[in-house]
Order: sequence, then structure tokens, then C-alpha cells
Amino acid sequence: MPVSSADSEKTLASTADYHAEVPLVQGNLSFHDITELVTAHTEKKTPLAWWGAFSLANIGLLLLVGMIAYLFWNGTGVWGLNNPVGWGYAIVNFVFWVGIGHAGTLISAILFLFRQQWRTGINRAAEAMTIFAVMCALVFPTIHVGRVWAIYWTLPIPNQMEMWPQFKSPLLWDVFAVSVYFTVSLVFWYVGLIPDIATMRDRAKTKVRRMVTGVLSMGWTGANRHWRNYEKAYLLLAALATPLVLSVHSVVSFDFAVSIVPGWHTTIFPPYFVAGAIFSGFAMVVTLMVIARKVYGIQNIITIEHLEKMNIIILLTGSMVGFAYITEFFIAWYSGVQYEQYAFLNRAFGPYAWAYWTMMTCNLVFPQFFWIRKLRRSVPFMFAISIFVNIGMWFERFVITVTSLHRDYLPSSWDYYTPTFVDVLTFVGTFGLFFTLFLLFLRFIPMVAIAEVKGVMPQADPHFYDHEGDGHDHVHDVSLAADQDHTQS
Amino acid sequence: MIELPIIDAVPSGDDAISPRTRFWRSVSQLERSSDFRKIAANEFVPGASESPGGASRRQFLQVMGASMALAGLTACRRPVETIVPFSRPPEHRIPGVPVNYATSMPFRGALRPLLVESTDGRPTKIEGNPDHPEVRGASTALEQASLLGLYDPDRSRYVLRGGEVSDWKAFKQAMAALPASSRVLVMAEPDSSMTMARLRQELSGAYANVRFVEYDHVTARRVTRGYAAAFGRSVRPVHHFSEARVILSLDADFLASTDPDGVWNTRQFAQSRRMEETGAMNRLYAVESAYTITGGMADNRLRLKSGDIGAFASALAGALGLHDTRVNGFSDHAWVRELARELREAGPGAVVVAGDHQPLEVHTLVAAMNRALGAVGSTVTLLDAGDTATDMHVEMGEALAELGTGNVDVLVTLGINPLYDHPELADPFAQAGTRIHVGPYVDESAAGAAWHVPETHFLEAWGDGRSRLGHPAVVQPLIAPLYEDAHSGIEVLGLLASGSEQFGYDLVRSTWRGSVSGDFEKTWRRIVHDGFLAEDAFSEVTPDVDGGAVRTAASRLAGAAAPELEVVVRHDGKIFDGRYANNAWLQELPDSVTKVVWDNVAAMSPATAERLGVTAKLSGGKYYTDTVSIDTGGASVELPVWIQPGIAEGSIQVTTGYGRSIASTREERKTNLFDLDDYTDVYGKGAIATGVGSNVSPLMQRGGRIAAASVTRSGSGYMVASTQDHGAIEEEGAEVARRGLFRMATVEEYRANPDFVKDSEPAPIKEDWSDYPSLWEDNHPTLSPEMQNTLYSAQQWGMVIDLNTCSGCNACVVACQSENNIQVVGKEEVARGREMHWIRLDRYFVSGDGASFEEPQMVLQPVPCMHCENAPCEQVCPVAATVHSPDGTNQMIYNRCIGTRYCANNCPYKVRRFNFYNWTKTLPTTTHMAQNPNVTVRSRGVMEKCSYCIQRIREVNKQANVEERSIQDGEVVTACQQACPAEAITFGNLADPESRVSQARRSNRRYEMLAELSVKPRTSYLGRIRNPNPTLISNDNA
Repeated sequence: MPVSSADSEKTLASTADYHAEVPLVQGNLSFHDITELVTAHTEKKTPLAWWGAFSLANIGLLLLVGMIAYLFWNGTGVWGLNNPVGWGYAIVNFVFWVGIGHAGTLISAILFLFRQQWRTGINRAAEAMTIFAVMCALVFPTIHVGRVWAIYWTLPIPNQMEMWPQFKSPLLWDVFAVSVYFTVSLVFWYVGLIPDIATMRDRAKTKVRRMVTGVLSMGWTGANRHWRNYEKAYLLLAALATPLVLSVHSVVSFDFAVSIVPGWHTTIFPPYFVAGAIFSGFAMVVTLMVIARKVYGIQNIITIEHLEKMNIIILLTGSMVGFAYITEFFIAWYSGVQYEQYAFLNRAFGPYAWAYWTMMTCNLVFPQFFWIRKLRRSVPFMFAISIFVNIGMWFERFVITVTSLHRDYLPSSWDYYTPTFVDVLTFVGTFGLFFTLFLLFLRFIPMVAIAEVKGVMPQADPHFYDHEGDGHDHVHDVSLAADQDHTQS
Repeated sequence: MIELPIIDAVPSGDDAISPRTRFWRSVSQLERSSDFRKIAANEFVPGASESPGGASRRQFLQVMGASMALAGLTACRRPVETIVPFSRPPEHRIPGVPVNYATSMPFRGALRPLLVESTDGRPTKIEGNPDHPEVRGASTALEQASLLGLYDPDRSRYVLRGGEVSDWKAFKQAMAALPASSRVLVMAEPDSSMTMARLRQELSGAYANVRFVEYDHVTARRVTRGYAAAFGRSVRPVHHFSEARVILSLDADFLASTDPDGVWNTRQFAQSRRMEETGAMNRLYAVESAYTITGGMADNRLRLKSGDIGAFASALAGALGLHDTRVNGFSDHAWVRELARELREAGPGAVVVAGDHQPLEVHTLVAAMNRALGAVGSTVTLLDAGDTATDMHVEMGEALAELGTGNVDVLVTLGINPLYDHPELADPFAQAGTRIHVGPYVDESAAGAAWHVPETHFLEAWGDGRSRLGHPAVVQPLIAPLYEDAHSGIEVLGLLASGSEQFGYDLVRSTWRGSVSGDFEKTWRRIVHDGFLAEDAFSEVTPDVDGGAVRTAASRLAGAAAPELEVVVRHDGKIFDGRYANNAWLQELPDSVTKVVWDNVAAMSPATAERLGVTAKLSGGKYYTDTVSIDTGGASVELPVWIQPGIAEGSIQVTTGYGRSIASTREERKTNLFDLDDYTDVYGKGAIATGVGSNVSPLMQRGGRIAAASVTRSGSGYMVASTQDHGAIEEEGAEVARRGLFRMATVEEYRANPDFVKDSEPAPIKEDWSDYPSLWEDNHPTLSPEMQNTLYSAQQWGMVIDLNTCSGCNACVVACQSENNIQVVGKEEVARGREMHWIRLDRYFVSGDGASFEEPQMVLQPVPCMHCENAPCEQVCPVAATVHSPDGTNQMIYNRCIGTRYCANNCPYKVRRFNFYNWTKTLPTTTHMAQNPNVTVRSRGVMEKCSYCIQRIREVNKQANVEERSIQDGEVVTACQQACPAEAITFGNLADPESRVSQARRSNRRYEMLAELSVKPRTSYLGRIRNPNPTLISNDNA
């Protein structure tokens, strides 16, 4: 529960030590400080460092465009796919990016419903990450088809031939699941942005800025009625987005689970994929936020407490994923199905064993370090772990997709998959797309939900100023307490 | 006769509208207005870029007239013959409806009888002649692929004079000017052609000194000479394996496509393996150094160096009492004792056959053994075929001596490539006054020749000859030569003999006029129609054995011992001696055993490789092998290593025909940096054969094919493309057994348990499939009324493949490729696992029965699409591009497919093939003509797979519907089924309980691969029955 009063905070801190909640915003910031801190980055002159990063990201984006053009011109053959392995990097990357796109909506919607107020510091950036990650993800199913000019046939567009898509195909479910998820995430994000855009509008000094923010803020005045409607809409959207968080990756997992390929045809895939997605999504949020909070000086808003909470989730979901890995092996043995048994032994000891053990190490072993409090509060360490988790989760998708396909039922058809430079550079290129969008986000949109953060500040408590003359000192105490090591009594 | 001008792509000046023009297209043409000329010039601009020598669409239409000529059975190519555009079609011709013509393919001195389908004037598919007793409609990969040979874009197009483009007219003049005093040397392959024989006579009369050398590079007459030594006369042995109970193969691959009797042997062999139907079950013993498909069919197989086969044969002959046993190492060999007993017991039901690379003494012994066993007249017939039985090397030596002294004015090589086979002949050949090279390619032998004359393909020119059994036949052309300058060997000889142009048609007819009694025209028409004359054949002889010759041969062989390391040069199973090297279908055909494509390799056993310190590394799914330098004293050849279980220790197996250099006649393409057209153009970058593999001819000393060799590792990292074994071979084999993919039992096991295939079922299978519901079950598309009420739903197609008779000869693979327009993708792409074959032959090695990994059994299993009733591919396609037809086939809708490849992932049999690139974009114009017009040519980005030859099914559907009748059993024949010499493939209507396929499915040997997945395959297999001699199951290598 959030810090509601200074008294309770004090009591908790003295009685329950670590379980005491510290204020979500630290540094004794006033409401105005928050506004300044967040919006300043969108208003000041573009820093040179941003241009540097943006150029780098743009090179990546150009690379992506170039690789896609090369692919479209020549055909799918420029990738490393072959006969048994019909899906390679493209699908791996798709699942990877969709997985990353899980954290944002989870943070915004599910944590919102569970009243996890610490979400406010990170939800804006996480949601932005979600949207951009889903955009990166959507690139792949689009370009991976052999005849990209006919991709619209996967959409149920009425036509004179009465030719509909084949609704039994999980790929079609994918089309619906991911596009719905993207739409809802985007709307959810935008709705959450309205009060902040209004803040920007109110501070705007140029005409263009005023007009753009004026249109986007949809006439927000901060009136009571506005707030009431806004809160309702936000709650409803959160309720709508929550099942989507679970469904989108479940549906993505159906691409595999519904097939008959040993190693794909696994009933635990939906929960296992969702856990993995949250796992990787949070890792990506940590990766990005660790840098962003430092660069933009918002350590008081995205505090070490936030990061620690995310690391705990990484530890939890990482263990769930690891449990799923072991369960798969158990089921393969327990089922007595020779194809299944072979598929899993081949994963661990076959030609792709290196990928399997990379995955196991990164996903199962590394997050276990977060049991140690010191490590999960160490910024450099969590950054390293979050990178490992990202690598591990990419390999998880690689292991599932490629090792299952490369040796399935008939040994005569067994082969090996090696990506080409186009595969690799396309993947690198999507990071260009992602960071281009993310940098634009950092530059032009408040990266923290200002209105929401203000709502969870100690000062937002209506009773905060009740004890006259006491409040100030008290806040000071709290902030001091936050700076101290909580292990001390 | 009407004579029309050939319309040029661009009218050149006034010539285009010459005063002789009798037909005009418009008044303005008649008036020769300049406007008209402009229009005429513009109208054909697209064709203007095409090479005038190449077959443009326009020229192609012009040559359509040939088919009219054939329909009327008149001449094919005569100056008076009318070539008309196809827009003025002959009567009774329905465009798009193919017509079949009988013809024959000359191969190894005999004709292989064919029936060729011609669609709108161009040959589009080759089948065996169904009426011919030797093939009964079956064919091999070579005949199937010869179609592509016709449209080979690298074929020579012009007469060359000293390497410069000339024309036929100039050549004609030059030949006419040859003085009668010329000394002429003609070298040609063994040929059964009667016209050729007649022209040889005429030629001898025309010049002062004519020498004719029958150039038999392939066998150097070893078989004929060996038999001749035994019987004192030339005989041609033809085997009747259907009569055989015990067969011994001494290094013979008699089931191979390249065997002179490949189809005949395979069919007959299969007949005596049908234990279930006929009760017959032969026992095949194979003693061989390489692993051949015959060895794969063997019940007992002994690995033995080729160099030891002679001693083995000698010991066996001794054990059979043919000579006073001189003890050699094999006399006490378990195999020799057991074989002698079994062969003797079988008597006339026994047959021994030896490989044609074995020395002639082995054949002498084989002949004597067959005679002694009583096999001659029963399982072996000796035909009086008049094969030359003299020593070729003596004749060649004499001819070369004559050349060396400068006594030859004119040297003609007809259809052979001696400078590839013997590069050292270049010097003596240069001594000839005028060297004339007649061949289909500007190749090794064309280099340095005074004249090169493009040789016609057999589908372009008249010819004649006899089949192996001696049935006289004509070679009937189906199309006028694609290139004006191309002429057949007999036409060149005719020109040489008479000094004036002779037309193949006239030459052949005049030969036949002399030999046919009665009404010539009537008989001629019948021959041309049937393709052969059934009543005439070689007579059978039963000469006595010359015991002395046998003893000599036996004693010569008795002490023969194989060298420590031997190299055995075999003719390639696909491209033979190199004559088919420029055939992309054959180059990309996986070798039945090694599964290697686009290369020749030095195959050796794992132990030998270890001894030589060479390896083949598997990295990233590709094989990177060491290369070895094989030295036979004086000559050395460098080849990549291929490690192959089952090869005799110390034996290196290499194949001929690679390392060709053929000049490409195609223009180079210029492409952008970002464009992969150069990569996807398999036919580009010079001729196909150029740069593929190495020429092993230098290893053959005096034509001998088994030689002592020293082998040293010379390099590493050579990439060899193979379509299989991307995992460990042992592991694959173990999984095959665990998964019950290939099921077999011995005769005893089968008798004890006729349902043995059920025991190999990996999971309990219930015949009642309702226990395994599927997504489709309640709502299967074929159950809908629209489907039920179609014209097609009465038939439910299915296929049964009998693994007991399938030898793995590859005929089905190429037949399917030809029928279904399957593109070749080149070595690089095959190595990446992107080959396109719709039917493939899965080769597995099975260790067991106490056999080691070094000595496994080999099985081959054809795998086409299974046409599952609960097709997993259909359920996952997001756009319904693969669906079920009312007649139960699983169909690909190419123009609906968007290429997600999900179907291929979900296909447990991995029979789906994806078009990773636009393979047809770069297809040469001539090769377009080899495509079957009834099958869609697939674009890039779509999936494709076996369709059960749906185009053939629909053709019969239409026909039956028009005629208001039901479809008869056997009316629909798939391409693979039609080609199969073993008749291992049965196809038909499962809804009809009496159909052959339904009967085959009732066999207790029937099983479905991966049936436990509940995909309900429509393609079933019949398990193999083996008949091994239990006393000889060992890995004893003596």
C-alpha cells in the first residue's frame, strides 16, 4: 500500500524495517519540481548527446529499411531459412519484441488494478516501450511472408470472391491478438498522456507547440468533471488491457502449441510464454530506465525502490520460466513420446546445445542473484543482469523455434539453420527503429506520468499539511530515511 | 506444297517482303508502304532482342510445323517441307491437347524405347514405350532428363570453322570438295543403327582409305570380350531375374539407371521379390566394393575390394568345379562355400552377374559359371547381337599410330568426347589433316577441331537402331532442330559419303526399304507408330564354353590381389560418362546412396578415411570435406572426400563425367549489386557442367577402371552439397527404427508373423480413427454438400509404395521434376537445404543383425506428399491456400499462397518445398519449353509440393465426364508411378474396393508412416521383406 501518512510511515519504518514503504518520490520535491523536472526535457534545446544517439538509432533504422528492401527485391531466400526450418530469425524476433512489449501494459493496467502505486514512476516509459516494441514486432510477421504484397489476405476484408482467411490458423489469431493489443495499448497510453500534454500546453511558449499540444490535449482543463471522466476511462481501459496482456502472448504461443512439431506441441506454452514475456519486458524496462533516470536526472522519481521491485518481478518470472523449462523435460520423459523425448534431448545436447545452455544460464541462473538484496539494488549489476535476461529470452525463442524445427519427425529431413547477414542486420535494424522511436519519445513526450506521480507523492496526501509546522521537517525525515540503508534498525 | 517465308523478328530491308512473298497480311504490306515497314518493325520489338540463333517464341512457333509433319508421318526436315506458324494449325489438332509419339533414345549401343508427349509441337514429357516388352512404359532418370537435354541452353548452335562461327552451307561445300583419295578415320560410339552401318559401307566406297573405330570408352568391351572368350563368339548376355532364385552380383549395379538393361533388370528383379502375390522370393547376394542400390536391395552383402573380386570369382568358379582349384585366399571363404552350394542348388534358377568395370576375365568366369549352372537359356539368354568383341585398345592403337604418321586427312568424331576421356589424345588428333567434331556441345573435343558441327538431340532427328533384345526401332523426331545448323551423325556421314546433303529421314527410310519385306509404306507407318518392330529380335544362342579360356581366366585371376589402396572408377549414376553433365535435372538429382549433388567425390569407408587422416566436417549444416590427391602412377586427380559406410576398406570410389568444360552459348547478364539474379540463375555463369567436380579419366589406364592408388590429403574445407545426413548417420538410423519409419522383416519373420509391420508401430494405433478426433473431424471440408456433389468426389485417391520392390533408382524423382515443372536451385542452395524435389528418396543406414556401423544395411524410401486426410498443413494456413479437394487430395492454391511457411513447419513428412527465390525469372528461354504447360510454374514466395499429379487426374476426370462414363482403375497414372521400373508405386481410387490400390492397401505389410499422429495419410507403404542367408550374416571382410 502506498504511503498515506507520515505517521504510518514512521510506525512501519520503526516496526517492520524493510517492509516499510518509502515514499515513491524522493528528494523532497514539490509538485512544481516534478513538472519542471519532467517537462523541461521536452522544452529545452535539443542536447547534442540526443542528436548523437538519435543519429546512431537512425543508422539502425536505415539498416532495417535497407535490409527489408533487399529482402523484398530478392525474396525470402536472402534469409537463412531452409526446408525443415521454415521460421527463423523473423519469428524469433517477432516473439522477442512482442514479449518485450508486455511489460508496459502489465505495469500500466494490471498494476493499476492492483493499486501498485509505484508503477506511476515507470509506467509512461514502459508503455512507450511496449508500443515501440510491438511496432518492431509487427515488422516481422509482415516481412516474413513470401509474397508480402498479398499479406492483406490475412485480414478479413469482404471481397467479391467471398474468400475469407482460414480462421483455424493460429497465425490469423495472431493477427487479431497483436493488432488489438497494439491498438488498446496505444489508446491506453494516449489517454494517460492527456493531462500531461495539457500541462505542456499550458507551458508552451511557441505557437506550433501550443497548437500541437492544444489539439492533443483535447481541451483538458483539469476540471473536476474531466478528472472524473478521465479516471473512469483509465480504469475501463485498464480492465480492457489486462486480459490482453495475458491473451496476446498466449495467442503467440499458440503458433507453436497448436502445431504438431515436437517441442512446439506443448500445453504449458501459454502461461510459460506470458511469464517469459513479463520477464523479458521487465528486463527491458530496467535496461532502459537505468539509463534514462541517470541521463535525465530523475532518480528521485524512478528510485532504486522502483528498480528493486522490478528486479523482484524479474526474479519471480525468471524462476517461473525456469520451472517451465524443467517441466517440459519432465513431460517429454513422462509422456513416453519418442519424438518429444528426442526433441528435448536434442535441444540440450544436439547441435544447438550452445543456444540452449545460453538460454538456461541467462534466464534461469542469472536472475537468481536477485535473491541477494545488495545485488538487486546495485544499478550496474541489475543493468548487466537485465541485458543477460534480454539475451536469454531472445535465445529462448530461438531454441523453441529453430531447434524444434531443425530435427523433427523424419531424420532424412534434418538440417541445420544458419542465419545470414540479412537476418542479423534486420534484427539489429529493429533496434534502430525502436531507439529512434524511443528517443523521439524521450525528447517530445513527458517520460514520466506527471499527473499520476503527483498523485502518489507524500504531498498529495490531503492530510500531509495537517500538522502545522511539522510537515516540512517530517518530509525531510522521510527523505533522509530513504537515503539511508534500510537494513539498519 | 506451300512455302512460307520465315518471319524474322525484324524485317531486314526489302528481304523481309521479298518479291517471292505470296501471302500478305495487309494491303499496306502488299504495297510495301514505309508505314507498314515501321509497324512491322515495331510490332516485333520484344523479339528483336532475342538471339537469331536461339529459339525465340516466334521461331518456336515456326517449328511447330514439325508436328504437323509428324501427324502426317511425312518427312520431318526437308527443304520442300513446309514450316508454317502454329496460327495455321493442321487439321484435327486441338490446341493444348498433347499427342504422344513413339521414339527411342540411343544409349550404350542400344535404343531405349520411349513414348514422348508433344504439346503444341514441342516435346514436354518422356515416358517408356508401354507396348515395348523391355520397358512396359517404365523409364529411368536418364530418359526422363533427356527432355531437358533437348532444351539445354548451352547446346552448340552454329557450325564452327576453326572455332569461328560458320554455317552448315560452308561445311557442306567443304565436305563436297574432299578428294576421293582422302584417308578418313571415323570414331563413333557403339551404335545399333542400321543406317549407320550402311553409311559406313558407303563411306568405305567413297574414299580411298577409311578406318572406322568403335570407340567404347564406357566398358572398353570388357563384358562382350569376356563372354566372347568363354564362348568363342560374340554374344550379348541378357538376364532374366524374374526366373532367378539365387542371384550373385559381383560388383554389378544391375538395377542402376545406367545399366544397359536398367529398366528390364529392375522390373524382372521386382517380379521375383513379390512373395505375397506370386510366392516368388529370390535371394540376392552382392559382393561389391561400393555401396550401390543393388547392394541396398541385397539380402546378403559382402564388402570386398573391386580388385579382389577377380580372385573371389576364381575361387567360386573353382568351387563350382569349373577349373582345378588353385587355392587362393578365398577358397575357404564362408561366402564362397555357401554361394557355391546355393548356386548349385538353384541350378537354372541361379544367375551370376559382374560389373562392367571388372576385367574381362571376370566376365569369362561369370559366363562359364552361368553356363555350368544351367542358367544360360533360363536366367541368362545369350543373344546374337553382333557386338564387336575385338580389343578396342588394339584398334585405337592402330588408329593413333596412323594419325601419328600423318596418314589421316580427315578425322571425324561422331557424338563422342575423346579429348575429355583421354586428354593425351590432343597431340595425335592435331596430326589429322582436318578434324571434324560432331557433338552437341562446344566441348573439350571441339577445341582445336577444324570443323565443329552441332549434333542434333535424338528428339530432333531421324535415326534407327535396335533395342537391347534386338527389336528394330526408329528414332522419330518430335521437333525440327532448335538450331538450324544442327545435324545428326548419320546426316554428317551421309554428306561425307556422298558429297551432297542427305536428309536423315531419307537415309533411314532407304535403309529400311532394303530390309522390310512386303508393303514398305504400311510397315513403315506401323514401325513409326509403334516405335519398334515386335516380330524381329536377336536370336538366342547357346554356345559351349571354351574350357581352356575359362581356365586361363581363372588362373589369371586366382592370384590377383587387390592393392593396399585401390581406386575404382565407376560411371556416374546420373551423368554417366559426362554426356549428361550439362543436364541440370541430373546434376541436382541426389545420388541414390551418397545423396551428393553437383559434385563427384572420392567415397570411402570411415575406417579408410581415418587411415588416410581425412575428414568431412559438418558445420552449419554443410559438409566441408578434405580433398585428396589420388595418384595412380603418372596421373593424379584431386577430389573431395566423402565418407560413406559400407564401402570396402581401402577402396576409393570415384565416378566419371565431371570436370567438364563446355563453352556456353548464352549471353552474360548484367545485374545490379542488390540483385541476386546471378546467384539464382543456375543456368548462367557458363555452361552448367563447367566447373562441377573433377575429371577422373586420367585414373583409367588403358580403360582399366580398378587401379592401385596412393592417396594423400591435399586440402580441406571443400563444400560438398548433400540432401541428407545433416545429423549424425548413426543417430538418424537409430531414430528411424524407434519411429517405425521403415519397416522390414526377413522371410522367416514374415511367415511367423505376417503382421510384422504392426509390431513396429511406435504407438498403439487403432484402425478406428474416431478415437483420435481432430479439429477437422466434425467439419471436414470434404463432407460439405458442395464438395460431395462435385464430379470428383466419387474417387478418393490414394497411393501405395511397395518398399519391397523399390530399388531407389531415382526414376520417379526426375519424372516428377519433368512432369511438375520443378526448378533446380544449384549446389549452393541445395547445401542450404532448399532443394525442390516433390518426391525424394530417403536413404537410411540400418545397423543390426550384428552388423557394425561400417557395414550397415541401406534402405531407400520414396517420400512424396502423403495427402493426409487430417492434413496438418491445412489447419495452420492463415489464408486457406492449402485445402482438401473433393477427391481427397491435399491441394496447393499457388495464387492464394502468401508464403508463411507455417504449413511446411507443420508437415511431419517435410515434403513441402518453398520457392525462396524466383527460380523461373532467370530460366533460359529454351528451358521454358521443357515446362509442362498443364502445370503452373510457381512464382517466388509460394509453397509447393506433390499434388498426386492433379493435372493428370483432372484430365481423366474431364475425359470421363465428356464420355459420360466412370473412371477405370489404372486410368490415372502419376508421373512417378509411370516411370517406376519396379512398379513399386500403385495409385488409384480408394473408394473402389476392387481397385489395385485398395487391394494393395489390404496387404498385411501395409503401414502408414507416423500414423500415430492421426493425420491419416493417403499414401501407404508396404514393408520390405528380406531373404538373407542366415549363415552369412556377418561383417567378415575376409
